[in-house]
Amino acid sequence: MAQKLKRKKSLYQRGKENKKVQAALTVLLPVLFGILVIALWQGQSLHKMFHTDTYTLPLPTKIGSIFMDNRDKIWENTVATVSVAFIGLMLGSLLGYAVAILASFFPKMGKGGLSIIGAFASVPVVAMAPVLNNWTKDISNEASVRSMVAKIIVVMLVSAANMSLNAYRGLTELKPYAEDLMATYAAKKRVILVKLRLPNSVPYIFIALKVAVPASIMTTIVSEYFAEYITGVGRQIRENIVLAQYSTAWAYIVTACLLGVISYVILMIVQSILLRKHQ
Amino acid sequence: MKKRKMKLISLLCAAAMAMSMFTGCGDSSQKTDSGSSTKEAGSETKDTATETAMSNEEIIKAAAADGKVGNWGLGNEYEVLALLAKYDLPTEYLSQDFTMDGFDDDSITLASAMTYNELGLVQNDYDGGYGYGDSIGIIDMNDEGVAMLEDNIFCTKQFAAENPNTVAAFLYASLKGWEYAVENPEEAAEICYEYGSSVSADHQAYMAKEVAKLVTTDMNGNTVNDIGTMDETAMEQTLEIAKKYVTLDDADANTALQAMTLDDIRDTSFLENAKASDGAFDVEKPEVSIQLKWLPQAQFMGYYVALDKGYYEEVGLTVNIVSGGGDIAETTAVNNGTVDFGVTWVTNLASANAGGMDLVEIAQIYQRSGLVLVYKPENFQ
Repeated sequence: MAQKLKRKKSLYQRGKENKKVQAALTVLLPVLFGILVIALWQGQSLHKMFHTDTYTLPLPTKIGSIFMDNRDKIWENTVATVSVAFIGLMLGSLLGYAVAILASFFPKMGKGGLSIIGAFASVPVVAMAPVLNNWTKDISNEASVRSMVAKIIVVMLVSAANMSLNAYRGLTELKPYAEDLMATYAAKKRVILVKLRLPNSVPYIFIALKVAVPASIMTTIVSEYFAEYITGVGRQIRENIVLAQYSTAWAYIVTACLLGVISYVILMIVQSILLRKHQ
Repeated sequence: MKKRKMKLISLLCAAAMAMSMFTGCGDSSQKTDSGSSTKEAGSETKDTATETAMSNEEIIKAAAADGKVGNWGLGNEYEVLALLAKYDLPTEYLSQDFTMDGFDDDSITLASAMTYNELGLVQNDYDGGYGYGDSIGIIDMNDEGVAMLEDNIFCTKQFAAENPNTVAAFLYASLKGWEYAVENPEEAAEICYEYGSSVSADHQAYMAKEVAKLVTTDMNGNTVNDIGTMDETAMEQTLEIAKKYVTLDDADANTALQAMTLDDIRDTSFLENAKASDGAFDVEKPEVSIQLKWLPQAQFMGYYVALDKGYYEEVGLTVNIVSGGGDIAETTAVNNGTVDFGVTWVTNLASANAGGMDLVEIAQIYQRSGLVLVYKPENFQ
C-alpha cells in the first residue's frame, strides 16, 4: 500500500516537473471538462441535475442540426451583430483613449471627468438603448441605418468609459522616478507623452480591451432587443424564446458564445504579438 | 521562450480554426444576398398625391413603400404580415416599442395598436394619452379578413386529463367572471385597478369597455352570447394564417406546425362540461394558478372579477393570478408546471406545440382580433 502510494506520488511529481506535460495539461484539462459537460448534456444527466427538460435545454445534437440548417440566416444576423460591436468598440476605444490623454494633461480636472464617464458606463444598457433610439430618429430615413447608429452609440459609450479609465492609469502610473528623470532632461510635455506615457499605457489598453471586447458583443446583443430594425443575434434569441422555440434560440445563444470566445482569442493573438517587448 | 512559442502556436491554431469557420460560412451567405435586395422593388409603387381620401389599400401600400409600417414583433406581427401579403407587398415592418411615440413623431406612419390599449392612448387625452381624438384613421384586421384569435385559456393536455373536474370548475367560475365583467365593465375596471394595475384608472375603464366588445363580438361583427366558445371558422382562419407566416427555423417544428389541425390544439369537452354544470364540482386540485400574458389590467378582467366576487371559492378553488409582462413566455410557464392555466394567443399555442409542448386550449375568450393599424390622415393625402 505504502509502495503504491509512493509510486503514484513520484509519477505525479515527474509530471509536475515535465514542462511538456504541464503545457499539454493546460490545454487538455479544459477540453476534457468541456467534453464531459457536453456528454452529460447529451446524456440528459444535466437535465436531471437542474430539474429541467429537453424542451427548455435542448440536446447539443438538436442545437447543432438547427445551427447547420440555418447557417445562412445565422450568418446574416452574425454579420449585423459583429459589425455593430466592432465599429462601436473601435470608435469607443479611440474616444476613450483621447479622453484619457486629455485627462492626463489636466490631472486635477481629468480625474473628476473620468469618474463622470465611469458613472455613464454604469447606466444599464436596457435604459440607454431606448433613449438612444429616440435620439437618433432624425439621422436617416432608412430604419436599418438609424437603428445601427443607435446601437453603435450604446456600444461606443460602454467601451469608451472602460478604455478611458484604464488608459488613464497607463498614462499616469509611470515607473518610479521616470517622470522626474524626464524633468531633469527638461523634456516638454509633448515629449513625455510620446516617449514615456504612450508606451507605458499599451499594456493597459489590452487590459481595457479584455473587458471591452466581450462587453461590446453583450451590449450589442442587449441593444438589439430594443432596436427599431429587426436584425441581429440578440433579437433572434428574444423572438424565438417568446415563440417558445428554445432549440432555435439555443442555436443563436451558441452563436453568441462563439462570437465572444472567438473575438477574445483574436484579441489574445494581437496582444501576444504587440506586447512581445513588454513580456 | 519555449512557453511563449507553445502559447503562440496554440493561439494560432485556435485562430485558424475560427477563421476557417468564418470563411466556410461566408461562402454560403454570398448566395443568399440576392434575396434581401427584393425589398427595393416595392418602392416603385409609391402613390402619387390624390385629392380624395385614400382607400385602406392605398394607405397600406403607401406606408409600406416608405417602410413605415410598425408592429411590436415577438409573435404580434402575423396579422400585419398577412395584410401586407394580401396586397402583394414585401412583408417587412419596423419594430415598434411599447409606447406610441413612433406614431406621434411620424417615424411610423401606419402603427399597430390594440383597440383596448394603444388605440385608447392615441385617442384619449387622459394621463399618458396623446389626445388625437377622432382625427386618426383606423384599419381593422377583422374587416381586412386577416384577423387572428387572441386571448384564450389553456393548460397542458396532461393536466386536463388528470384534473377534468378542476378544469371544468375553473372554466365555470372564470366564464362567470367574464360574463359579469362584460356587463359591468366599469366595476370590472375598478376591481382590476385594485388588484395592482399597470395603467391609470381612466385607461383601465376604457380598456374594460373595449375588451367587453372583443369578448362579445365575433370577427364578422355579430354578437356572441356564448362567452368562451371556440368558433371553428375563426380558429381555422387563425391557424391558416399562422401556418403561412410563422417561420420556425427548427425544421422538425416547422413540419409539425404545417401538419397541425385544430384537434391538436383545442378540446371543447371541458367547456361543454362547464356549461352543462350546475356549479358543483368535485375538484381534484383545490389550489390552482393562472399565468396572464401581460401585466394586471382589464385585458384579464374576467379572472379578477371571478376572484373578487368569490366565484372561484364557490366552485371550491383557491386561485392565484400570476401577472406576466416583459418576456415571460406563458406557454413555457404552463408547460413546465410552474402554473396550471395560462392566457395566450392561439398562434403562440400552436407554435409552442409545434416545438414539442403538449398544450391544449380549453376556452376562447376573445372572439375577434383586437389589432388595428392607426394612421394620421394628413400623412396620406
